Amino acid sequence: MTRFARQGFLGEESEARFAVLRVGIVGLGGGGSHVVQQLSHIGIPNLVCVDPDIVEESNLNRLIGATIADAEVGTEKTAVAARLARALMRSSGFVTITAKWQDATEALADCDIIVGGLDSYRERSELEAFSRRLLIPYIDMGMDVYEVGDHFSLGGQVILSSPGQPCLWCMGILTQERLEREAENYGAAGGRPQVVWPNGVLASLAVGLLVQLVSPWTNTAIDSAYLEYDGNRHQVGTSNRLKAVADCQCSHYLADQTGDPLFDIRRQVFGTGDATEPDTVERPLGWWKRLWLWLGFSYAPEPDARH
Amino acid sequence: MSVHFKIRAPLLAHIREDLERRHPFAYERVGFMYAALSRIGQGALTLLVQSYTPVEDDDYVKDRSVGAMMGSEAIRKALQHSYNSRTAVLHVHMHAHEGRPSFSGVDLSENARFVPNFFNVSAHTPHGAIVLSQDNANGQLWLSRNVAPVPVTRFSAIGAPLWCEGERS
Repeated sequence: MTRFARQGFLGEESEARFAVLRVGIVGLGGGGSHVVQQLSHIGIPNLVCVDPDIVEESNLNRLIGATIADAEVGTEKTAVAARLARALMRSSGFVTITAKWQDATEALADCDIIVGGLDSYRERSELEAFSRRLLIPYIDMGMDVYEVGDHFSLGGQVILSSPGQPCLWCMGILTQERLEREAENYGAAGGRPQVVWPNGVLASLAVGLLVQLVSPWTNTAIDSAYLEYDGNRHQVGTSNRLKAVADCQCSHYLADQTGDPLFDIRRQVFGTGDATEPDTVERPLGWWKRLWLWLGFSYAPEPDARH
Repeated sequence: MSVHFKIRAPLLAHIREDLERRHPFAYERVGFMYAALSRIGQGALTLLVQSYTPVEDDDYVKDRSVGAMMGSEAIRKALQHSYNSRTAVLHVHMHAHEGRPSFSGVDLSENARFVPNFFNVSAHTPHGAIVLSQDNANGQLWLSRNVAPVPVTRFSAIGAPLWCEGERS
């Protein structure tokens, strides 16, 4: 029996589809580390794993693959992810970037899907906006523990935000009020409560959505999802918030708001040796350059000077 | 040099549906896609298709020697749209079969004749041509007027299921 024989129900082409897929995983904490592990088991070899942090003792209650020794020496979380993935796959397409995701945009831009396990609403907002601009489906995981009276409420959500479909703003995960409240509390001491099993549930849901998107095993196409996890009742269901906006056009990310708005091919030099020979664009000289020439000095315009 | 073509799946389905409509006299239909650009690293470009306009029935020219012949008005409208929206113009037509399509000899010579002229109006962006089949695509992209086109190396349709084809950067 071959390695993937037991997941043959995903379709004859699933292995080939997974082989060419590139998935970005942003945040390699409680949720992201589960995602790395599961995608490696499934056979998705091209992973771009991004996290700026090192393993600390307080991570050991949930960070899959991390050891006491990692916490003692401060191993990078990306190194833990690499160790986890490489023990399961031999891949030249596995990339780790120990940096904030904003400094890894070049690698993330080339991903087919991005999975986010970020704590802050601001960063989730920015990562979704980045994904939308490049037509990349974004799967967002979020876990919450709230104190309610004399007990705690444990839960979370996984959202598939596909271009053209409802976004985190449409579904009410992102609100101006939440962003403002978060900004006011910026730097407050203490991390948010996190435990391993809700992280595992949410990561499994995220991986399920990802696999269903790439190699669906049902007749139902899912390109938008808002799965709510009630950790007190141990239940998962589709949020009413998605049902309310499912047929609405996303008004936050419009179809014509993709790409680089200032892109100019004439300013591009490609590093492959087959660079373009840019069209020349004549422009009038400025007054000081005309004066310079009138005085008899020579002037050579910069090669990339354009309107 | 790699070029990644990305489009939302519903828009791609709409384009295919539109191109399959019969024309009063032309053998096939043609249209224009408009795409934003993004550069990735040293040698990769991503085309992000934003919209599509079919060539209107009245803007075809009767020419029984080719599948479809556009009049100058069709090109003028496409370039006007490109200029206004700062997008790349991608001429599109469809071959009615499954699998990876290829440009015909006529396609290649016609593309080489009219696509470089798009730089007269929109010089800041590449332009190209895409041929669709019922389930796949092929394409070529001019990075400037005077240089031979590069092939589109990867295609993605963003929807459910997510469709990706070709080599990545």
